[in-house]
Amino acid sequence: MGIFTPRFKPNRRDLLKGTGAAFAGVTLSSYKAFAAEEKKLNLYNYDTYIGETTLADFEKATGVAPKMDLFADMDELFAKLKAGNPGYDAMVVAGDYLERMIKANMVSPIDHAKIPNMANIDPDFANPSFDPGLKFAIPYMWGTIGIGYRKSAVGDTVIDSWKVLFDSDQFAGKISVLGDAQNVIGCALKYLGFSFNSTNPDELKKAEELLIANKKNIKVFAPDNGQDLLASGEVVACQEWSGDITQVMKEDADLNYIIPKEGSNVWTDNWAIPTGAPHPENAHAFLNFILDAENGKAAATTIQYGTPNLAAKKLMPESYITNPAVYPSKELLANCEPTKYLGEEVTKMRDEIWTKIQAA
Amino acid sequence: MDNWKDYKKVFWILAAPGTFWLLLFFVIPLAFLFIMSFGGKAIVNGEVSITDYAYFTGFENYLRSVEPLYLQIMWKSIWISALATILCLVTAYPIAFGICFAPARWKPILLLLVVLPFWINLLIRTYALIAVFRTQGYVNLTLSVVGLGPYEMLYNDFAVIFGLVYVYMPFMVLPLYATIERLDKSFLEASLDLGATQFTTFKNVTIPLTMPGIITGVILVFIPCLGSFLTPALLGGANAIMIGNVIERQFKAANDWPFGAAISFMLMFATFAALMIRAFVAKRSAGVDV
Amino acid sequence: MVATLKPGQGPLDYASRLWLKILFGVIYVMLYIPIITLIAFSFNTDKRGVVWRGFTLDNYVKAWNNDALIEAMTNSLMIAFIATIFATVIGAMVALMLWRFKFPFKGSYEAFMGLPIVIPEICMGVALLLFFNFSGMMTAVIAMPWPLNLANIIIAHIAFCFPFVTVVVRSRLVGFNRQLEEASKDLGATEWQTFWNVIVPFMMPGLIAGALLAFTLSLDDFVITFFTSGPETVTFPVKVYSLVRRGVSPEINAASTVLIAITVVATIIAMKLQAPEKSGH
Repeated sequence: MGIFTPRFKPNRRDLLKGTGAAFAGVTLSSYKAFAAEEKKLNLYNYDTYIGETTLADFEKATGVAPKMDLFADMDELFAKLKAGNPGYDAMVVAGDYLERMIKANMVSPIDHAKIPNMANIDPDFANPSFDPGLKFAIPYMWGTIGIGYRKSAVGDTVIDSWKVLFDSDQFAGKISVLGDAQNVIGCALKYLGFSFNSTNPDELKKAEELLIANKKNIKVFAPDNGQDLLASGEVVACQEWSGDITQVMKEDADLNYIIPKEGSNVWTDNWAIPTGAPHPENAHAFLNFILDAENGKAAATTIQYGTPNLAAKKLMPESYITNPAVYPSKELLANCEPTKYLGEEVTKMRDEIWTKIQAA
Repeated sequence: MDNWKDYKKVFWILAAPGTFWLLLFFVIPLAFLFIMSFGGKAIVNGEVSITDYAYFTGFENYLRSVEPLYLQIMWKSIWISALATILCLVTAYPIAFGICFAPARWKPILLLLVVLPFWINLLIRTYALIAVFRTQGYVNLTLSVVGLGPYEMLYNDFAVIFGLVYVYMPFMVLPLYATIERLDKSFLEASLDLGATQFTTFKNVTIPLTMPGIITGVILVFIPCLGSFLTPALLGGANAIMIGNVIERQFKAANDWPFGAAISFMLMFATFAALMIRAFVAKRSAGVDV
Repeated sequence: MVATLKPGQGPLDYASRLWLKILFGVIYVMLYIPIITLIAFSFNTDKRGVVWRGFTLDNYVKAWNNDALIEAMTNSLMIAFIATIFATVIGAMVALMLWRFKFPFKGSYEAFMGLPIVIPEICMGVALLLFFNFSGMMTAVIAMPWPLNLANIIIAHIAFCFPFVTVVVRSRLVGFNRQLEEASKDLGATEWQTFWNVIVPFMMPGLIAGALLAFTLSLDDFVITFFTSGPETVTFPVKVYSLVRRGVSPEINAASTVLIAITVVATIIAMKLQAPEKSGH
């Protein structure tokens, strides 16, 4: 069984690995152009996942016109960058994917000296498990996964548990859960009292059995439109990301969002610099710009997730800070676990479980 | 048919661009994945690597792809695609037929009208479809006026089939149009003059003469249906998984490119086997020259 | 099944048969209900496009002022336009070759041409991603100015579109009566003249159908485009798919409506321009 690694990725990392110091000198020399870096910046992000005027403001402030390319989910970002960085300078990346990309040398460390606004970061977010000491990324937004439901349709039932989605036929055919392995299996594990990030095959088996048994009651595994299903009356309760539900809640007072008592997932999206970024100076300037209080406020206002930027949070209106969907109580949050990168073997195992659940 | 040796220059001029393009921008890239399908993830420092691959580790990906779990999904994909293709043919044939027999000045407009919906992004179109057919959608609202419903029309296998028909309609209409258009109408006249009914004429003359278009359309609809993943994900219910979804997940969430490549190649082999059987049967029955 | 004929109707005058007209109408209505919904929603004040809240033109104003959206649209149209031209020409040439010539391993060659139709898109997308990275084309092409930086995407689109054109054109050519070709040559036409004046006009419906198919495929492609695009080449489908997580906005509906309007107007103009030439024949 011969193992060889063909050079699919002719990027800086491989050159360094493969040919040593001689090449390192050559490739590093390209960094010497720091001061005279071209006035370009290529961002990679979800669409509309940024303050409405942030890009234009950045251009005004620095003279660098940022271009923003788009992906639809983390898996796309990861699959695309896996083969090499085609020229992105900064990207939004979720905690577990950041951890995976750090392991795979796909992100480069950030230079804290160039980001003075890091002082604005909430101390609670200064030492995340996926990136201790914020060596590779700055936190951008955070939120939870919970249950969105229609108050008038659930009647007297108190919605405070995953039971309503995973273990009950009370709303048979009128509930939806998310469409990805990680979060559905993770939340089912939470309901059963296990860890969101469990790697124990027995526990995963129990989650699988639970979901298969309750599948007849689930209307659809909604890939990313649970909030639409809820808003249009298609379902009365759904598993969704907090921000998606807060958006529809603004338009429909009959909707509500809760974090189940068994606990859930709390995630953080970050800005990081991918390995081989052609304009690292500008990228650092952009990261610093994002952490500015006013710009953090603009992002939080547009996106309506929680901000890990304390200075920005202070500028936000009362209605945002007291919204339990954005800032849940400490007790509920204490039960929520961040998504962890569990290694390739477990990812594969969970994927196969997910396939079984869907095919059952 | 001419022998290529008699017109070497013409032959090469016609053959070169397509062959070259496909070799360079399709076969060579695909060869990477083909090699990968026999491999697995490399073990680096005792851990399964995220980005590096070990090559020629055997046939485990192919063996995994024929496990009952995946065969079951494959089988489901086949019958859903088959039903969608048949429905598509049944609806597209009258359209193509109608366009071909319409007055000349109407033809381009009618043809354009068939294709136009497909210039709207698939995802937006699917969302529009959901808005029309959901429990509180327009169809149910209309039905409720006459006191019917509401009916549950989405989130089941039927919705997936309907969605596929809707998505792949032009792939059927266009080849049918191209063949029916060249149908020599004197054959139909002759048949009718000789006393055949319209139905017999259609069955015995029109259909056999347009068979190349039918077969092309069936191939162009069935195969993409087999690999589709967006329609089942959005319109299907809790068990609407198709093989396209599994493949997509291997390249994305599961990060298992070798396995994704293996299922893709299995799908291709199966398709080729089916096409070969078809060619063989066609030759034996010595029907139409396709 | 057969309707009674009105006086003056021939037995082949299917287009004026009532049952066909009704069937035709029903299918077109089915095709267009979602499109009409979409157009209606582009005038909706509801941000999520889920329920009707009131009439507005704001979405059009917003779409017009959204530079990123306009840029994505321009990129998509540019890619589809160039890819369609190349795909139609290359595809038709292969179809002609397959139709006219006997050569060794023809069956295998045909199967080879069918590969892009058979392969799941994501597999092709990832394969091209590896290829473009490995060959250095990714970095080379994205450094070029617009529209050259779209080259990788266009190359990929041509590769998956032209086999579709081949299949369609070929099924058209099957019915060609080669005596016409011989007659033309007997009358003194050169090979080229025969090709241009006899074969091409016969292929035309196949070419049109094939080109429409290629344009449709290219304009709507997300997966392969995503994997072959660089940082500065967002296309419309990539934009739309990215929006899903945050909800499809009515702006996108407005942009789609404008796209439909533009294509309809362009086609009508093209038909008007062609009309006098046709009557001259």
